Amino acid sequence: MNQTEIKNNTTKFFLNLQDYPLEAIYGTAYVFLDKAYLFLVSRPAKKIEVSLKGKKKLTKKQLENLKGEFLNELLNYSLRINLAKHNRKIREYIVSQALFAALGGEEIAEEPEEKFEYEKDPLGIAIPWEEKYGQKSKKSTKKKSKSVTKKKK
Amino acid sequence: MKGKSANPENILISFDKKLYNLKAIKLAIKEYQNLANFSFRQKNNYIQVELKNIDKEVRPIIKDEFCNYVLSLMRP
Repeated sequence: MNQTEIKNNTTKFFLNLQDYPLEAIYGTAYVFLDKAYLFLVSRPAKKIEVSLKGKKKLTKKQLENLKGEFLNELLNYSLRINLAKHNRKIREYIVSQALFAALGGEEIAEEPEEKFEYEKDPLGIAIPWEEKYGQKSKKSTKKKSKSVTKKKK
Repeated sequence: MKGKSANPENILISFDKKLYNLKAIKLAIKEYQNLANFSFRQKNNYIQVELKNIDKEVRPIIKDEFCNYVLSLMRP
């Protein structure tokens, strides 16, 4: 992913802005302000050079670990930003609903249910078969009458 | 980029304009002005901050601490 340069108690490495959003880099840098001295420089091809300098004298291994921790935190931040981006709409909806309820508003008005009056028979259920489709053949009527008598039994 | 000033007693820091904004740098200068004399100028893609008459007690760390402070102010 990147070359690392370690000297003068400092580790320097490059991050690609196509992999990590700038917001995530700032966020991660903010987390690391207590652990190290940070400095950012932009480089060509959408890259950023990150310098992490130990506040105390650190060994090479400790500096490598510091870089590793930084990259882990960066990944964590990038994921959080992605999730926030994807959940934005639902989050806004929930918050707006909560605020609306807290203000004493009612739930968003539901559409009034249409009242079906059975006497109107909008689906035409009450119309007899014969009236609707005409006379049936004898066989089908016989079968029907048989099934009706079975049900009655 | 942390450059060297013409006077070895002074410290010159070049902040990349793409990554650091002037407002944050000005705020940081305001907070640190009792530890050194600050001046800044904009040059190409950098904002150069020069520190003169630095307080002896903080001299070894003021550059790094100042950069960290500017970075902390970059957060919205």
